[in-house]
Amino acid sequence: MPDQVTQTRQRIRELLVEMHGPDSFVRNVSDTVSLRQQGLSSAALVSLLVRMEDAFGFEWDDDIQPEVLRSISSLADHVVALRV
Amino acid sequence: MRARVRDGVELYYESTGSGPVVLTLNNFFMTTPAWRVVTDELSVAHRVVSYDLRGHGRSSHPETYPSWDDHADDVVGLLDALEIDKAYLLSTSISTVLARDVALKYPDRVKGIVLAGPALGPRGMRRHRLVQRAWLLTLEHHGMAALYAHLYPEVFGAEMIEELGTPGFLGLRESFLALSTKEDLTNGLKLALTGESSPDLLARVQAPTLVVIGDDDVLLSPSGAQELAAKFPDGRCEIMPGAGHLPFLDDASGFQALVAKFVDEVEANA
Repeated sequence: MPDQVTQTRQRIRELLVEMHGPDSFVRNVSDTVSLRQQGLSSAALVSLLVRMEDAFGFEWDDDIQPEVLRSISSLADHVVALRV
Repeated sequence: MRARVRDGVELYYESTGSGPVVLTLNNFFMTTPAWRVVTDELSVAHRVVSYDLRGHGRSSHPETYPSWDDHADDVVGLLDALEIDKAYLLSTSISTVLARDVALKYPDRVKGIVLAGPALGPRGMRRHRLVQRAWLLTLEHHGMAALYAHLYPEVFGAEMIEELGTPGFLGLRESFLALSTKEDLTNGLKLALTGESSPDLLARVQAPTLVVIGDDDVLLSPSGAQELAAKFPDGRCEIMPGAGHLPFLDDASGFQALVAKFVDEVEANA
């Protein structure tokens, strides 16, 4: 499980790098910090969520709580929980 | 940037471009940054000024929440602070009430008003107020995320909702939750339930008026919008196909073109 979480976080980072480039805020952002507070726009978040659906093979649900979308860590935890 | 107006209150504002001044008026769910992507083309040939209302966003939050009169006085206070003689007012939803009030109270400072997805109605505002009351109840009893879920399908057009899908619903919610506080929205929605609602006031608005309505605006029909525009002495109406209550989000370029055309026509006839 810890490996799964680490790998998922890394894949989400890769998706963010695909969107924003390697020299963007992604380089220094920690797993637990709020992505929005790091400057991720709502349009960019929508794009990330679409990319996650493709990358991890699932579809988001309208009932997802706001806390799930806050950070790389919370996003990864959600993906891993779906696979259990 | 911040401009000082009455009572030591400071209003956060942004100003872009040069030319005839278009001053945006936030509805209570918006703050200044939201205008950037829907006025970028307008600011090529116009000066677009956006600001946070008193008691909202990055502007001062006085102990007592402002009245409609305070908001109207702030518009002129901001124009004075920026040494702007006259401006076009670009309003949306509930801020169309503010545009009406400023045009009535300070006719010499208003060159024209744009009412996008008006809260004003040709026979009154009761329907809109019932909707706002329902939003307020949801906010007070269930919180911000529930309010977002409540208003999302009422505010956005069906085409946009389908296009954005669940990622759009969830992603825009993050922005909604970050831009406002529960207290700010509660204050704004309570104010929205007050003030003059008679359509008879509209006949006294001297400024040229453009009503822009999405034909998928669930709060006002296209025929209702045309009827509303006819209440103004110099009113006209533009209908945006497929757009919802915030038509500038459905088609930012199309909306800006309508506003630019309106401003240019008024300027040409000045």
